[in-house]
Amino acid sequence: MRTHIFAFILSIVICATARAELKWEQTAIELHPAAGDKEAVGHFKYQNTGNQPVRFKSVHTSCGCTAAQSQKEEVPPGEKGEITATFKIGDRTGTQVKTVTVDTDDPVNATTVLTLKAVIPQELEINPSFVFWGQGEAPKSKTIVVRAGKDFSVKELKVTSSSPDFETKVAQTGKGQFKIDVQPRDTSRNMAATLTIQPEGSSKTFYAMARVTNAPAIQ
Amino acid sequence: MRQALILVALAFLPGIGQAIYFRDKVSWQSPVPASEMVTVAQARAWGRNAIWVDARPDVEFEREHVTGAVLLNEDRWNELLPQFLAAWSPEKRVVVYCSSQSCNASREVARRLRDEAQLKNVFVLKGGWEEWLKKK
Repeated sequence: MRTHIFAFILSIVICATARAELKWEQTAIELHPAAGDKEAVGHFKYQNTGNQPVRFKSVHTSCGCTAAQSQKEEVPPGEKGEITATFKIGDRTGTQVKTVTVDTDDPVNATTVLTLKAVIPQELEINPSFVFWGQGEAPKSKTIVVRAGKDFSVKELKVTSSSPDFETKVAQTGKGQFKIDVQPRDTSRNMAATLTIQPEGSSKTFYAMARVTNAPAIQ
Repeated sequence: MRQALILVALAFLPGIGQAIYFRDKVSWQSPVPASEMVTVAQARAWGRNAIWVDARPDVEFEREHVTGAVLLNEDRWNELLPQFLAAWSPEKRVVVYCSSQSCNASREVARRLRDEAQLKNVFVLKGGWEEWLKKK
């Protein structure tokens, strides 16, 4: 029995010393892009600490919004490199977690999942971003609540309706908090408007939508 | 025999360890409640009472999409939302799809439609675009 255990441990030790090994500096990165940034880039650095070369078989991402690139196809022993993951922010908000799956020919650590977390600052919270009325419904005003996000200060809000069919009134209800009352002129026909919300001193424009649908509305 | 059993038990240890460590991250555990998921057959049965929303990037939508689907992705959310809302009406069910089950885009788009636009009857297509292609 002792001989078998010794043989088992010895085989593990031999395998461990002979293998190629990519050692990652970190497999999870948290990024905090600034408001208005178009993309967030994470650099996952590695080193081949084994005595065999490591070949990348594939590098793929969990989302079409993230692109990942390896600098080389094969990493000789002792060499360093990085996988660059570029996350396209677009109109995304809040915390976004994307993964990059790296497949190599290393028989022990064949697959490594790299995690890119991007915390996108939210300048304004608009709730709801859409108000609607059914055809024939009383044309009473409906309210959209707007709050400045954490770390943002909004003193004034300018709201413009794309259509004269909808009127808007803005009132401040607290520090960094506003309400927009939206009212259709009538609800006898299908009509829509985009409400452009512009915080004072901000380069970013926000939107909400108002519509009279051709069906009875329940909100 | 005893040695073989010991080896099998040892082989299970890393697996058990991983299962405990990643218990909250099991791939088949969807963060979307079952009631908010819909199969291709169910969505098709809704016929004209369903609006199909394609949450994939523009290039994939341009290549091919479900007939009549409206493009709404987070790359251009502010720009695309008005055209979706113009096609929407309260009695319709919304079916959001993206490129596969591992893709989170349809879940995010569905969440934003529910939370931000406060729409009801928003569903995520099980198996996404690939499943729709299989059942085409």
